[in-house]
Amino acid sequence: MSKYPVACMGKFLLLILFACLSLGAARPEIKLEIRDHLFLPSELVVPANTKIKLIVYNRDPTPEEFESYELNREKVIMGGQKAIIFIGPLKPGEYPFFGEFNPKTAQGKIIAE
Amino acid sequence: MLLTSVIIILREVLEAALLLTILLAMSRFIGLNTRWFLLALALGGLGSIIYGNNLAAISNAFDGTGQELLNAGLHIFIYALLLITTSLMVINYYRPGCRLSLLKWCMLLAVMSSILREGAEIYIYLYTFHTQPALFGSVLKGALIGAGIGFSIGALLYYLLLALPERHTLLITCILLTIVAGGMCSQAVQLLIQIDWLPSQMPLWDTSALLREDSLVGQLLYALMSYEASPTPLEVFLYAMSLAVMALTLGFTHYVYRSHAHVPAVAH
Repeated sequence: MSKYPVACMGKFLLLILFACLSLGAARPEIKLEIRDHLFLPSELVVPANTKIKLIVYNRDPTPEEFESYELNREKVIMGGQKAIIFIGPLKPGEYPFFGEFNPKTAQGKIIAE
Repeated sequence: MLLTSVIIILREVLEAALLLTILLAMSRFIGLNTRWFLLALALGGLGSIIYGNNLAAISNAFDGTGQELLNAGLHIFIYALLLITTSLMVINYYRPGCRLSLLKWCMLLAVMSSILREGAEIYIYLYTFHTQPALFGSVLKGALIGAGIGFSIGALLYYLLLALPERHTLLITCILLTIVAGGMCSQAVQLLIQIDWLPSQMPLWDTSALLREDSLVGQLLYALMSYEASPTPLEVFLYAMSLAVMALTLGFTHYVYRSHAHVPAVAH
């Protein structure tokens, strides 16, 4: 009798775990590179209304700060490192981002559609 | 390079300068010496260099969420310190000299954390260019100009606060610090959304057509209260909660100490 609620809770926790895992798995991953103070590619098309895992690789030896006012994100990425930034869900539209340390060259945008 | 450097340094300096000057003005108002402030500057500067030198390792910690967790932690820590600081200021208004060393320590830690957060970015940015002599000159010049503008705005606010009629100083300082503290919470929430620790949602509204975040006023408002053109419902809720908690705490402290202060007067 006493085991029943425990088993029930266990099942419930497993269910939540699977739900989380499946949500995590369904989340699209998008890769972006920084090379010679440029974002490659400089335009990324992503599905609208979906949460996205953005992975930014800094291939330069120097640090860069990924920054976007429209996406409300900012993160310093040291030279030769990668950064994971979750973005979205986004309404359809264009979301510019830039490298704060080299804003003249490091420009890009995310297009949600 | 010059203009980029001015903008980056100005943004970072301004964010810390507002908090620094309000606390420094308050310290002067209460009649504390400024030793705590100088110590906070030194510790914050030293901390920035250590943080900056270890950023790669910190960023990679906790599955690549170390940078956000540390920064969010610093923001929440500053919020808590400001809550204690402002409450003690209100208490001191009615009971001069009450727990001044605790007040000094809270202000010291708040200033140190704020410098640590903003200073590390300045350090990383400047350190990148120190190996490129061709660019370093103009970067440094830009940095000095940016820092100069930032400190000037701070100085302006400092003298403005000290020039206020004394009976308004406490109220206005508490309001400003509550706004700054709310901004700290809102930045922490945003960082936790960025690493998926808090759920992300569609923005509740978008005021970027009215006031762009990268405009001059937008930047000033960002430094003061973390102005965000398109916040999510969770951000708005937690921001409002952080303001409400602080305002209610201060209101309650004020009420309790004012009535205590008046008891002997009524009894006589």
